[in-house]
Amino acid sequence: MKASHATFLRNFGGATIMTKQVISELFRPPLYFSLILEQIYQIGVMSLPLVLVTAGSTGMVMALQFGLGLEKFGGKLYVPKIVSISILREMGPVFSCLMLAARCGAGIASEIGSMTVTQQIDAIRALGTSPIKKIVIPRVLGCLIGIPILAMAANFVGVFGALVVCTNDLGLDPVFFVQKVLTTLWLPDFISGFMKTPVFALMIAIPACYFGLTVKGGTKGVGNATTMAVVTASISILVGDYILTKFYWVIEQWL
Amino acid sequence: MISVKHFRKSFDDRAVHKDVTFDVIEGECLGLVGGSGIGKSVVLRSLIGLEKGDGGEIWIEGEEISKLKERDLVEIRKKVAYVFQNGALFDSMSVYENLAYPLREHTNYDEKEIKRRVRNQLEEFGLGDAIKKLPAELSGGMQKRVGLARSLMIGPKVILYDEPTAGLDPYNTLKIQEMVLALKKKGVTSVFVTHDMPTAIAVCDRFCLLANGVVADVSMANAIKKQSMLDKFIQGDGV
Repeated sequence: MKASHATFLRNFGGATIMTKQVISELFRPPLYFSLILEQIYQIGVMSLPLVLVTAGSTGMVMALQFGLGLEKFGGKLYVPKIVSISILREMGPVFSCLMLAARCGAGIASEIGSMTVTQQIDAIRALGTSPIKKIVIPRVLGCLIGIPILAMAANFVGVFGALVVCTNDLGLDPVFFVQKVLTTLWLPDFISGFMKTPVFALMIAIPACYFGLTVKGGTKGVGNATTMAVVTASISILVGDYILTKFYWVIEQWL
Repeated sequence: MISVKHFRKSFDDRAVHKDVTFDVIEGECLGLVGGSGIGKSVVLRSLIGLEKGDGGEIWIEGEEISKLKERDLVEIRKKVAYVFQNGALFDSMSVYENLAYPLREHTNYDEKEIKRRVRNQLEEFGLGDAIKKLPAELSGGMQKRVGLARSLMIGPKVILYDEPTAGLDPYNTLKIQEMVLALKKKGVTSVFVTHDMPTAIAVCDRFCLLANGVVADVSMANAIKKQSMLDKFIQGDGV
């Protein structure tokens, strides 16, 4: 077996075992609510500007590209429909989660990695407490609660960005834009995108915590762990997006 | 009090410990010595379950701990404190928060009582002025003393010292030495891993020499002190 395959299997197995520990310790007291709230603030509130800028720009660029492309075929009036569906189903959740994988995944992995190399994680254990409870669970829950809310905000701002471009650059009436969006979108469009966000949140939090806790080799190891956390989360989000979309598509067909 | 029987540990293909066996009697301070990279810290970490051995048994106060799960080790870790080489203080917390941490986790004291106990502990360790400081604002010696103070907050019966004087100046080395001796007088059992032999001879009752993955020699500290006096006498240094 190649060394890279063995490393992949070791990391996958390690992250799975850590996830099992998270689930088993989640339902065993004590739960550190102050630490969870702190992480919701760090991940949710502190990431808001980044997510809003990303979503706003994405909505604006999409509206502009679709507008310019469809204008040639006289299809400019379809821009509100196409852009709003694209944002709610794909672009809002996926782009915001990719940005959060970079911001939060890197932050979590480097913070925990630094604690590992300075023996602070060992100190937590030596003092009779659990790093899973103290460090991992607050970050996993912070991501699970914060990221779906951020994705919802991203959807709203993305559509708003498209409205601005449609009104100013494509010459569409804002009332027409809002009417089209409201008549086009329905609950499954929202659910299709929104249901992915808790899965993406886990894809960000679990690798970040795992690579942080298993750092070896000092500061260089922290750098490697951070890179691995971001790369793993980004690839998982992109591959996972296809699988989840397909899964939801099958369910929609079935219903 | 502590009994290590046929302890084995390998890293990848390298067998660091092949058969390590020793006992620590209640109230005793055992010095664990040996060359660099011989695995002294691995044995010490295994005594509190921070490291898992590949075989053998580790008994603490009549309980076999080597096969305990992480959550079952909590009770052992309340009794056995570990003093890390660099203090391992939580760098985002103040000295006060660091010392309050074990009290908040394992006792039901209110904040007033926690404050009183932390202040008393810091005064005892000559660190009263450092209460509001962050670990990064402390010198290496002070960090080690805070680490020692934190590990004693819930009154452990056993203390494991991992190179507590490494990299310290003579003043701070002496301070740590005095603290270890004071704890020994109170009857605390300890295992002392170090390369600093003058400090080890001053605080330890007995020594275990680790070499080639086994306990190569066990000597009483008194015998070593006498031998060292004899060596000085033979070399004409006077005694």
